[in-house]
Amino acid sequence: MILDSYRIATEPYYQPQGQEIATFLAAYHERLPIMLKGPTGCGKTRFIEHMAWRLGKPLITVAAHEDMTAADLAGRYLLEPSGTVWHDGPLTLAVRHGAICYLDEIVEARQDTTVVIHPLTDARRILPLDKHNEIVPAHSDFQLTISYNPGYQSAVKDLKESTKQRFIAIDFGYPPPATESAIVARESGADADLARLLVTIAERSRNLQGHGLDEGASTRMLIHTGRMVRAGLPLPVAVQSGIVLPITDNPDIRAALSDAIEACLP
Amino acid sequence: MSAAQLQLVSGVEGPTRTLHLWMRQRDRLRPLFTATWEILSQRFDAAEMDAWAGAVLDLANVNAGPSCLIAYWDASTSDGATEIAPLLGAARSGAEICRHAGAQAATDAFKALSAARRMLGSGAALSRWWRTMEKLATQAPESLAATAHHMAEILRPGTIAAFESFVAAGLRTAAGDRRKRLAFFSLQDELAQRMVARDPGAVTFSDVETELKAFLTALYGEVPLLRSISTDESAQTPQRRAAIAGPLIRLPEIYRGVQDDAARALFRAAAAHAQAHLALGRARFAIGQLKPLQVALVNLIEDARVETLAMRRLPGLRRLWAPYHVATPTGVATAPMLLARLARALFDPDYVDADGFVGKGRALFAAALPRLDEHAISREIGMLLGNDLGQMRVQFNAKTYVVEPLYRDDGLGLWDLGDDTTSSAETLELFIEALRPEQQESSDGPPREQDAANAAAEPGKARPAGPDERGVVIARYPEWDRVDAIERADWTTVREVAASLGDAGSIDQALEQASVLRGRVARLVRSVRLGRTVRLKRQQDGHDLDLDAMLDAGIALRSGETPDLRVFRSAKALHRDLSALLLIDTSESTRDRLASGATVLDVERLAVALLAEAMEELGDTFGLLAFSSDGRDDVRMTSIKRFSEAYDRDCRARLAGLSAGLSTRLGTALRHAGGVLGKASTSRKLLIVLTDGEPSDIDVPDPFDLIEDARRAAIGLHAQGIDAYGVVLGRAGVEAATRIFGRRNTMLVHRVEDLPARLSELYFRLARR
Repeated sequence: MILDSYRIATEPYYQPQGQEIATFLAAYHERLPIMLKGPTGCGKTRFIEHMAWRLGKPLITVAAHEDMTAADLAGRYLLEPSGTVWHDGPLTLAVRHGAICYLDEIVEARQDTTVVIHPLTDARRILPLDKHNEIVPAHSDFQLTISYNPGYQSAVKDLKESTKQRFIAIDFGYPPPATESAIVARESGADADLARLLVTIAERSRNLQGHGLDEGASTRMLIHTGRMVRAGLPLPVAVQSGIVLPITDNPDIRAALSDAIEACLP
Repeated sequence: MSAAQLQLVSGVEGPTRTLHLWMRQRDRLRPLFTATWEILSQRFDAAEMDAWAGAVLDLANVNAGPSCLIAYWDASTSDGATEIAPLLGAARSGAEICRHAGAQAATDAFKALSAARRMLGSGAALSRWWRTMEKLATQAPESLAATAHHMAEILRPGTIAAFESFVAAGLRTAAGDRRKRLAFFSLQDELAQRMVARDPGAVTFSDVETELKAFLTALYGEVPLLRSISTDESAQTPQRRAAIAGPLIRLPEIYRGVQDDAARALFRAAAAHAQAHLALGRARFAIGQLKPLQVALVNLIEDARVETLAMRRLPGLRRLWAPYHVATPTGVATAPMLLARLARALFDPDYVDADGFVGKGRALFAAALPRLDEHAISREIGMLLGNDLGQMRVQFNAKTYVVEPLYRDDGLGLWDLGDDTTSSAETLELFIEALRPEQQESSDGPPREQDAANAAAEPGKARPAGPDERGVVIARYPEWDRVDAIERADWTTVREVAASLGDAGSIDQALEQASVLRGRVARLVRSVRLGRTVRLKRQQDGHDLDLDAMLDAGIALRSGETPDLRVFRSAKALHRDLSALLLIDTSESTRDRLASGATVLDVERLAVALLAEAMEELGDTFGLLAFSSDGRDDVRMTSIKRFSEAYDRDCRARLAGLSAGLSTRLGTALRHAGGVLGKASTSRKLLIVLTDGEPSDIDVPDPFDLIEDARRAAIGLHAQGIDAYGVVLGRAGVEAATRIFGRRNTMLVHRVEDLPARLSELYFRLARR
């Protein structure tokens, strides 16, 4: 089938934190669009991969960026020796053949671009392609999911009210410490003690959120750090290069964070 | 400059003209003046020279005398004086000093200025230097000349904080004795000499404050409130300990004799300990009938308890605190020694001490470990141990006792002083005496006269202005007479009232407390600064191909049509071409208190400070103007920040110094703002009016007259190309504001507390258009 390359063959590991799987399944059952909210690196992308695998549907991921135009999503005419040929964009592909379309960091895209998804996200479930003079009715398997990091939220970059209100939202946060250390241990191969320690360290940085840091250390960051340790790097060095240095450039905050992390180490 | 040129300059209106006229009668000063004027007019533009001339006149008006004026001119023309604002500030402070300590003192102060500039630069530190000199002039007028004389030596430590604490220490040690004071400030006194001895490795509280704050926030997840305690620098008194007062953590300004990294580590240790009390301990002990020794022991156990709790969560804290536990199980068993040993025994499990008392303390504490979360155990164990130690008949002198180790706090913050009577109060008094030798905060000098006058005025009523308070008339404006439907020319008089200075620190503090909001605004600023390019499609040339244009061109080629060759994309940076003026209503009603206890004006002030910070960061041209009125003949304008000025500490001091009073003659204020903004050369001109109600004034019975006048004024602004926008606090004024500014140009802020967030958002929205 045309979308086979988009299918996920093996189960992506995902540790549920609450009712998110049940919520997603219910929404999918009703083919309602879903919005995943949460800070960076807390498992939004992993979750959608896991759900696509669980439902056995192909997953088409589009990372939004500020240069993205509606044509980049829907498709455009391309030139070939024989003439012009219509080429479906990733969204049209998903709509036509029935995939889960995942628009990552939707606020990055310009607001006029996001309006393309409006007819898909209400009762109509259609994608009008004015350039191709076609209306594509959504395949019964099609489902739209967007992700959105409220940390960026500002008057300048925010979803339109008319976009926001079309979605079922699932809020992702950092998991509780016990869950998070289990995730870190599994994903990085670190032992349980190290994973717990990394989570304690992450809490220090999350305490600084809004007081010098825009966002605290993500679960992904901890996993990377754990892997650095497993590769033989001493813990303090790994923490420095895996957490402190990437997260801030402010010397005061950097020093304070290093000192606070120092207080976590046994 | 010859007499003919003087004649020429005198054609200009304002202070420049007055000053030149004034100079013409003074033969002795004139040559020097013309030379100074010539040098300065090469550095500064006409408006700045005007301000400078005003400053000289101010000095002349307080009878500063020729030598003082010459000293000021010298200071103005010296190489360090590259900006006008510090010079104007200098003249203001000079006049203040002259008023209190005489012309000679002011002259000496100007002469000392070069030394101060060398050490402190010409920024905020220098204005603090002037502030301190003013304080000295009011509290120790006789010593100012001596201080000025020795300025280079006194400033040797190199920080403004050192100078401030030097002056504070001098005023305190002399305790009103003029002779002693003079000896101190002329560096005859031993303490004074020691204080100015340079200590290059010294780390002060202000050096580490930001870092400490972030450190504690990261550790415990709560933002601490940190303050410094000025320390007595003499080596005779024991080193100051940190202190907890309610939610505040107060740390010594400096730890004597501890330097560089060691000092930073000590600050961290002390802060981490104090915050552990606040985050984990939260104990408040009733003093009851406890004796000083028992109080000390309860403190000690409580210290050990919160540290144990903290180290359970964050084991690395042990490394932070361990170096300070240096007690050894040898030597004379005095009470302070035993307490230090007990502190170590409870902290360090590997520490061996055979002493029975220490052993008992350890055993009791170990037994209480399962109940570590209850602060009651501290009191129980402390009292038991206190009895034991009492029976051992070791000497304990509450007056000389200091808490060991060095990083711990003095423990007083743990005690509930309540309204307890006699015996207990005495116990604590002993402690307070011993531990806090200088408790009173050094105040920032006596309040200025105007503030005092404002404070004395009956709140809740618009008061008539005394003739002396009326400022300089700067403009007259027409006003619309609604009843007769004509515009009455020159009906209102606008006077410029000099801002009274408040404490700029209070603004900084308020901003810090609003750190979440501040972060949000900072993000907005960043996004605006980063995202200031627009992409242009279908361009003649550019950095990459426009795919859609390419396809169209290709299709056109094949179908035999002429293709459009504009197939590139490019990006263009958007320049901000905007000046904004913020008009702040300070009428009587802004004195109203909100549920939070802050006044409306306080919130306005925070909102303005927050926005001003953002605008400064963006590099937008902006001005801040406050207005109030007392009849048509006295519409007062106070300039907090002019367009040409940098938004510096002085501006924040003026903002902090705003006080509520009088009425709101909005129309005149709008016309005046239009005049100010009209001079700006940017293509976009934005006026934001911050008001809390409808216009009113004492001589206009029907407020509708003023609303109609303001509406006409707003229409006039529109005709001038100025976007006027009204921000209304509370529902009461919204109808009037809608009428004046139009529905689209009015924003209602329901809850006054939301203003800081809403105002900045509004600005960003308006400025983007």
